[in-house]
Amino acid sequence: MTAWSDHVTTALLGTRRRPLPPHPVLAPALAGGPAANAPAGTGDAAAGALLEQAALLTVRRRAGLLPGTAEPIAPAPAESLPPAGLAAAGRLARILAGEQPRMLAEWLDAAAGRGLRVPAPLLPDLLERGRSDRALRPAIARVAGRRGVWLALQHTGWAYLVAESGDPGDDPEVWQTGTRSQRVAYLVRLRGDDPAAAREALAATWSGEPAPDRTAFLGTFAQGLSPADEEFLEAALDDRGKDVRQLAADLLARLPGSAYGRRMSERARACVRARERTVRGRRQTWIMVREPEEHDEGMARDGIPFHPPGSFAPGSGPPLGARAGWLREILARTPLPCWTELFGLPPMEVACLPIADHTEDVHVGWARAAIRQHDAGWARALLKAAVVTERADELTGLLGVLPAAERETAGADLVRRVRWMDEIGEMTLLLDRLPGPWTGALADAVLEVVEDILTGRAPTRSSRSDHLVLSRLCERADRWLDPAVAPRLEALAARRPDHQPLTELTEALRFRLDMLRELDE
Amino acid sequence: MSDRWGRDQVLGLAPDTAAVKAATTVAKPAKWARAGCDEQAVWGECAGSGASVYRTSADLAEPAFRCTCPSRKFPCKHALGLLLLWSDGTIDPAARPAWVAEWLDARAERAGQAERSRERTAARAADPETAQRRERRVEEGLAELGRWLRDQVAQGLSGAESASYQAWDDVARRLVDAQAGAVAGRVRELASIPHGGGRAWPERLLAEYALLHLLVRAYERGDDLPPDLRATVRSRVGFTVPQEEVLAGPRVRDHWYVAGSHDTEQDRLVTRRVWLRGRATGRPALVLSFGAPGRPLEASLPVGSLIDADLAFYPGAQPLRALIAERHGPPHQGPPGGGRVLDLLDEYAAGLARDPWLDRWPALLAGVRPARADGVPHVVDDRGDALPLLGPVPWRLLAMSGGRPCTVGGEWTPAGLRPLSAWREDEGVILL
Repeated sequence: MTAWSDHVTTALLGTRRRPLPPHPVLAPALAGGPAANAPAGTGDAAAGALLEQAALLTVRRRAGLLPGTAEPIAPAPAESLPPAGLAAAGRLARILAGEQPRMLAEWLDAAAGRGLRVPAPLLPDLLERGRSDRALRPAIARVAGRRGVWLALQHTGWAYLVAESGDPGDDPEVWQTGTRSQRVAYLVRLRGDDPAAAREALAATWSGEPAPDRTAFLGTFAQGLSPADEEFLEAALDDRGKDVRQLAADLLARLPGSAYGRRMSERARACVRARERTVRGRRQTWIMVREPEEHDEGMARDGIPFHPPGSFAPGSGPPLGARAGWLREILARTPLPCWTELFGLPPMEVACLPIADHTEDVHVGWARAAIRQHDAGWARALLKAAVVTERADELTGLLGVLPAAERETAGADLVRRVRWMDEIGEMTLLLDRLPGPWTGALADAVLEVVEDILTGRAPTRSSRSDHLVLSRLCERADRWLDPAVAPRLEALAARRPDHQPLTELTEALRFRLDMLRELDE
Repeated sequence: MSDRWGRDQVLGLAPDTAAVKAATTVAKPAKWARAGCDEQAVWGECAGSGASVYRTSADLAEPAFRCTCPSRKFPCKHALGLLLLWSDGTIDPAARPAWVAEWLDARAERAGQAERSRERTAARAADPETAQRRERRVEEGLAELGRWLRDQVAQGLSGAESASYQAWDDVARRLVDAQAGAVAGRVRELASIPHGGGRAWPERLLAEYALLHLLVRAYERGDDLPPDLRATVRSRVGFTVPQEEVLAGPRVRDHWYVAGSHDTEQDRLVTRRVWLRGRATGRPALVLSFGAPGRPLEASLPVGSLIDADLAFYPGAQPLRALIAERHGPPHQGPPGGGRVLDLLDEYAAGLARDPWLDRWPALLAGVRPARADGVPHVVDDRGDALPLLGPVPWRLLAMSGGRPCTVGGEWTPAGLRPLSAWREDEGVILL
């Protein structure tokens, strides 16, 4: 027992119960002081002596403390990417501290796009953020650098980064032993280089994979989808897993010219026919529509559910009814060339043909088909023909199919048209779904809306609806509006310094503008 | 303009986190008019709510602030926002307007007056009768504390674990009544030792009791002690030395590296310890400030910067606490210096020999790497000497160093090192 632990034990039990330990420094004869004079165990004097001796020992222990040994942590590997600059790093620190928190994803993506990494001192805060927000993880993995992985290996909560940046490379081993997300990443990459090899790799293990994995793996076929995949997908229509079957049908619907497409075309032509009619003295081709009579197993196999979405509990408007729902599903899955052949007309003219009945169902079906089959010609035609003007989902989906340059002008047209219709519901829906980024002509159109509302030049029914539209626009625009228009928007906002959403939008845009500039420095 | 402060440094001045948020909303160029800066000051006019316009100015040397807004917070969001803009490089040098010049002149004049009044006060002796009365009360209070401590040890400390906080609070309160405030604070902290868990609580409690008892005995000896040690004892008991007296004493000029800042809170009073290390003299120093919540603490010593200033040390056997007597320029950046682990321990031991109650000592370790022993984070120097780190795993230190050597500033205590800042040539300084 050391002198110190002896003193501690005595103090714990009390000097009334335990004798005073010998003085740690002085020999007993020299000790003097109260301890020597008072018999141990008589309380106050012994206690005082114990405290004095303990004080001596405490100071001695503190002063005599020696350094220990510890295993240095192995240094992190050298970085291959340059760090973001000082200003950009400062901006990230501000975002992580809670200023404009919604800009985090954009900062990360922008940094990754420029081949930059996050400066090391910010990694802990960033990795902690990715712990609770899964959506950020891929972006974090791209900018965390080697230091990030090195750090994540030392913190269980950050281990996701190791898996996320677990670069599958070209190592086929991953396909055999990796986690589901690693294997998906491997397949996606392989589909990009060699779709056939990816398909064969999957076919080899297909029957042994559990249904959720089969769904995840089949999803990779969206990458590099081609007629060569048809056979595999056709077989998957008879899969045990419901999600697998649905996914296979959806993928086949994007493959014009397949057997699936021919089956669907047949169903479609049973519902839609061309007929020459004279209406009000004008003779022209009309589209005659008859809803499908019944739902059969063939339809179910090809991915048309018995209760199509919206047929009973629609998001808006009255229930569609099952038959109209089937009609939409069939048309949405029918290869679009079916129609140009049937009517012998180009898409633009087909889109403008009068329809006797079920007009909306037909247009919605076509629009969905154009979106699904990524058919820019049809998308352009349907947007020009202004046939689904009240369906923000389809409209914005069609915009997404257009080439980027065309998308801006088409989007701008759409914004102006909907603005003129003065339906708040439509406008807000449109703004919600309008694909970003809002640049060029589209940014101009959005600014026009802002200006119209601020100057009261707008064709509106009420200022209240204007206010709603403007607030909504501001909410969405902070993410998508081209930050380059920040100065113009600031000039506009100066007229209404009291408009909170507008002020916030200008601040957010200015923030993004500065943020992107800093990353370019 | 490389000597403009960083954002962290500006935001470090904020009295609370709400002020940080408010400041970032004010830090918009559009909100400011006629903003400008020169070597010594930054100023501008900020459009407030409604028609009001606030004139805000900041004296960078101290720093000191003035704003015409009605906010009770100090510095207010306008001052912080202005400094943020300045830090971003948004504010350009300009000629100082009259209202700023007047303010700065008035400040200089007040400083001169304060200097003179200090001299007067120092000359005037405190009322001897009041002083004697206090001495007697402290004496009685400490005698009672001594009896209480001996009683604890006579009965045995084993009961401490189940005793309520009240037991220590009562003793502390009597010490407050006896005007021995510093001891009272120490006693109140003790309750957390047995209650905080940890196997080692009996030895920690005994160590603290023993040192308190030593203080009681040392105080009893009065003027038998050497004057410096007497001063140390009196300050540990709770006698304060008037600032005037400290400032009137000898001064040490150096470029002081701010190694770290650590806030602790007791009874809603925040104590900020800012640890300094003279780059030329190697002298350690501690600048203490106190503030109620929401009130500003010492903010003019940004961690990681060097301050060219005269320090006036409080008297004592191991002078440590100091006041900034005079600055010779704004904070600047530079390498911090620093020593090895053994240097730190030797220094601390030497300090203990002069002041046995010394339980915090500024550490500035150069070339240390993060390390682990039994799962506890350590830092280890180039000779393999390691010290344990206090507190949670210092992830920022780990991230910044990447396992490579860096300079760590912090607070050394007998239980371990509390890391407060880290510096590397290539990364600059970070706060931990």
